[in-house]
Amino acid sequence: MRSFYRTLTFVIAGLVFVQSAMAVWAVSGLSKWVDDGGVFDKSVIESDGEMPFPEIWGIIIHSMNGTFLIPLVGLILLIVSFFAHIPGGVKWAAIIFLLIAIQVTLGYMSHGIPLLGMLHGINALAIVGVSITAGRRVAQVAPASVTTGVAGG
Amino acid sequence: MARRALVATAASIVVLAPLAWFWQASLMPGTYSIMDGHGGHQHHGRGVHTLVADPARAADVRVTLVARKERFRLPSGRAFDGYTVNGTSPGPTVRAVQGQLVEVTLVNESVPDGATVHWHGIDVPNAADGVAGVTQDAVPPGGSFTYRFVAEQAGTYWYHSHQVSHEQVQKGLLGAVVIEPGTPRGGVVALVHRYGAVRTVNGYAGDVVQPSAAGERARVRVINTDNGPMTSWVTGAPFTLAAIDGTEVREPAPVTGQGVLVTSGGRADIEVVVPEAGARIELGGDTAIVLSPPGSVAGKRSPAPARMVDPLAYGAPAAVAPIDPGRVNREHEYSIGRRPGFLDGRPGLWWTVNGRMFPDVPDFRVAEGDVVRFTVSNHSGEVHPMHLHGHHALVTSRDGVPATGSPWWTDSLNVASGETYEIVFVADNPGLWMDHCHNLPHAAQGLMAHVSYEGVTTPFLIGGPAANSPE
Repeated sequence: MRSFYRTLTFVIAGLVFVQSAMAVWAVSGLSKWVDDGGVFDKSVIESDGEMPFPEIWGIIIHSMNGTFLIPLVGLILLIVSFFAHIPGGVKWAAIIFLLIAIQVTLGYMSHGIPLLGMLHGINALAIVGVSITAGRRVAQVAPASVTTGVAGG
Repeated sequence: MARRALVATAASIVVLAPLAWFWQASLMPGTYSIMDGHGGHQHHGRGVHTLVADPARAADVRVTLVARKERFRLPSGRAFDGYTVNGTSPGPTVRAVQGQLVEVTLVNESVPDGATVHWHGIDVPNAADGVAGVTQDAVPPGGSFTYRFVAEQAGTYWYHSHQVSHEQVQKGLLGAVVIEPGTPRGGVVALVHRYGAVRTVNGYAGDVVQPSAAGERARVRVINTDNGPMTSWVTGAPFTLAAIDGTEVREPAPVTGQGVLVTSGGRADIEVVVPEAGARIELGGDTAIVLSPPGSVAGKRSPAPARMVDPLAYGAPAAVAPIDPGRVNREHEYSIGRRPGFLDGRPGLWWTVNGRMFPDVPDFRVAEGDVVRFTVSNHSGEVHPMHLHGHHALVTSRDGVPATGSPWWTDSLNVASGETYEIVFVADNPGLWMDHCHNLPHAAQGLMAHVSYEGVTTPFLIGGPAANSPE
């Protein structure tokens, strides 16, 4: 369980790297497409099917990853923390989950209030920092009590 | 050890149980009536199918529309997998003169999910509204359905399927409707639709040249059939915004350097006096109608203007307000928000109406003869083009600023995030009417409610044997 906990924290950090990469990839593709004469508006965002430019995948992956996958991994981490018996482990997992919840909220609210997008970018770094710290400290803290089959792992 | 495991399990349940409960509570039955679940609902009363145009009157205009699912060529030459009407997409333009009785027979040749025809912007009798599961069953392959209505309002409208509409409309089951007054206004239809990634006008990509005479007063009937608002503007001439959503603007003043926002489902008739060098009616920036007198060359498009014509203050007000605000006797609030939750078991961030998620959205009840005020506000972070079926509403204010221009009648209202509109309409067309977001994927994501008249009921079901799915 301890190593599963640790792995999940690093998975979350890794997924945030993916988020950052996808966002910039999409913006770069968009700017090239507009440069080539493309017109980007709401109907492009809303159209299904073929992609006006391949980097749109960046937006799609960012949104699926951020709305579903990362919150799901955060939730699993929280559940795992209950069983992992890492001193402070639940607290750190809860903080990560809270930061993720804030991140999703900021991401969606930034459509209406673009300034919140700045906080979204900054909070992403906080999630990475907290996740890596939570993972690294697993090796540094002793297990909460006797390690048995339940607590070990 | 056991105690500890117990605590961990209990903590997990505390976290997961509410999620499971919300998930379970959101599951929708496969079949239900839109009348279900609302307090004081009525299963007795006039059925929507009885709300028809005079059956004794002979039709003046007869049209047959044959819907197919097929791979076809757009007028631009590009092959596309989608839906056609009479073998083309966009389908044929349905034309009538004001006052004529229009009779349209939809024949579904091969649309597997079934199809309907909704007359977007035309205040038809409820039985002809074409909403699967509300006013009719979706027409199955091999079936047909006849729509009858009197074309009472001259103007620019369109038709589209209202069965699995977020897919069928996007893939081409649509066309334009032009209703002319006794003295025709003429003009060119500019039906804008995105097939896949490419925006087209009347099925053509890029510039569409329309031969014109210099000095001629030309009307371009812009129809936005896509899911996002579109900016339209004119290069090379001043223009007037002659009509909004089919209603003529009183004394529209010529403008330059401004654009017109045509929201999803909305229409704008733009008029220009064609200069010798021609003029371009820009449609979103990647397509245009080029009004081109002989010898002129299509010029380059001008940049999209930052300023928009504001219908709230455009044109001349009527001497007498078309609806006396003092007569309002019924008020409803339509507040759009967004929150995380489950919609039919799917997790996500879903739209809410008055804080509640579909299907727990309010039933906006009215009685025939009511003068109804809706306060429509958007707190969701995204724009919503709100479309009310069967009625035209008069915009009376936006964000507390009263309307001062020509009476602004709308059926498709662009409500940006943070905006609040007050609209007023007369409940003079009994039935069960959708009042939904015309960003059609948003409607499928729950941004949909109904205006329902007292004493009207529907025998049709969402789901059911016809697999009705209006969104």
